[in-house]
Amino acid sequence: MKSVHIPLSLLRILGVCALLVLPVPSGADEAENQIKYRQAVMKAIGGHMGASSLIVRGKVSHRDQLKVHANGLLSLSRDIAGLFPEGSDFGETEAREIIWEKWDDFRKAADESKAGIENFVRVVETGGDSDLAAAFRRVGKGCRGCHEDFRQKDE
Amino acid sequence: MCRWIPILLLLLAAGPLRADDVLIRKGEYLVRAAGCVSCHTDHENDGPFLAGGRALVTPFGTFYSPNITSHPQHGIGRWSDDDFLRALRDGVAPDGSHYYPVFPYTSYTQLKDDDIRLMAAYLRTVRPAVTDVREHELPWYLFRRMMAVWKWLFFEPTEFAEMPTGSAEHNRGAYLVVIGHCSECHTPRNRFGALDVTRYLVGARSGIGDELVPNITPDRSAGIGKWSKDDLTYFLATGALPDGDYVGSSMAEVIDDSTSHLNSADLQAMAVYLKSLPAM
Repeated sequence: MKSVHIPLSLLRILGVCALLVLPVPSGADEAENQIKYRQAVMKAIGGHMGASSLIVRGKVSHRDQLKVHANGLLSLSRDIAGLFPEGSDFGETEAREIIWEKWDDFRKAADESKAGIENFVRVVETGGDSDLAAAFRRVGKGCRGCHEDFRQKDE
Repeated sequence: MCRWIPILLLLLAAGPLRADDVLIRKGEYLVRAAGCVSCHTDHENDGPFLAGGRALVTPFGTFYSPNITSHPQHGIGRWSDDDFLRALRDGVAPDGSHYYPVFPYTSYTQLKDDDIRLMAAYLRTVRPAVTDVREHELPWYLFRRMMAVWKWLFFEPTEFAEMPTGSAEHNRGAYLVVIGHCSECHTPRNRFGALDVTRYLVGARSGIGDELVPNITPDRSAGIGKWSKDDLTYFLATGALPDGDYVGSSMAEVIDDSTSHLNSADLQAMAVYLKSLPAM
């Protein structure tokens, strides 16, 4: 059988082509992962909010669990702005570009959310049940405040 | 005795004022319920309350809302009750020109005349603000006179009709959903921008600012059929969705500027009415 002779330069070109199609971690992947992480954290916050809402509105009687949910919210909301690094504004995200254009306003809204949550934790822990509804509404207002200006739902 | 006279006089003077004040507060409540604030206030640029200038980006072009403060030149300070009635019920400006239906007179036409007079009384007390009105940015064929044709085709002044078999709560809810003009965003439009009432509140693909607007009929998968009346009432008061998420975009504005200002009996009435609609 006759062997096929491939010139060295052609081998080099083939090698480069092979490298190009290999999956290499890129900046785009990093941004996508940031977005996925952010969405997962937001979902977790939403989970605690949904559970807290049912307790605060008296729909279920897990008052003893409210502390868990309130502290969960607090831990997750320590650095909301940190979930939005620059460059994480493309791909499958509902975050609007205005976040980065008006970063100070965004930071302020995120801080306002955090302050509402800290207040809620205080009310839950000191057991002032008469103030619960108002404290929880303030938390909701924080969520809404950010979503109003900085989120665009696409479904 | 003499020293009581000034107090008596003061009370006499304050009496009618207090009655007016009650009417003005009622008017303010109706202005909130009718959702005037969000479009007539340029929140994004910290514009003065009800002074207009907010850009409304629609599939037909960009509209800028007018100033409805009590300023005599820039606002509605010189409007008579009849001017208000014609604007809201017929979609006609005091100078006789037709409004574009981005101003939802298609819904406001069902406002009760007495309610319009109360709203007018309140608006005349709103701090006057000076604003430069910007021209709408529209394609050439959407000129004002064209609206006469549009109205001839798609608009008829209508009185609100209570459903005879509906409870008082149901009918109150229906009225609030109409004047809150929910359908202007939640009902799809035909290519001429007229609402497709056969698909009342089934959601639309292209709302103000190109948003997707959800179905709010009681369908269990496409709409809000799985929401309890309480979920709906709480949502309208706070923006909380049953899954713990909080609404954003223009519905967050509606909650902020309108529904969160309504009393719980009215929110409950809206929920009762929405839950009674045909599921689609």
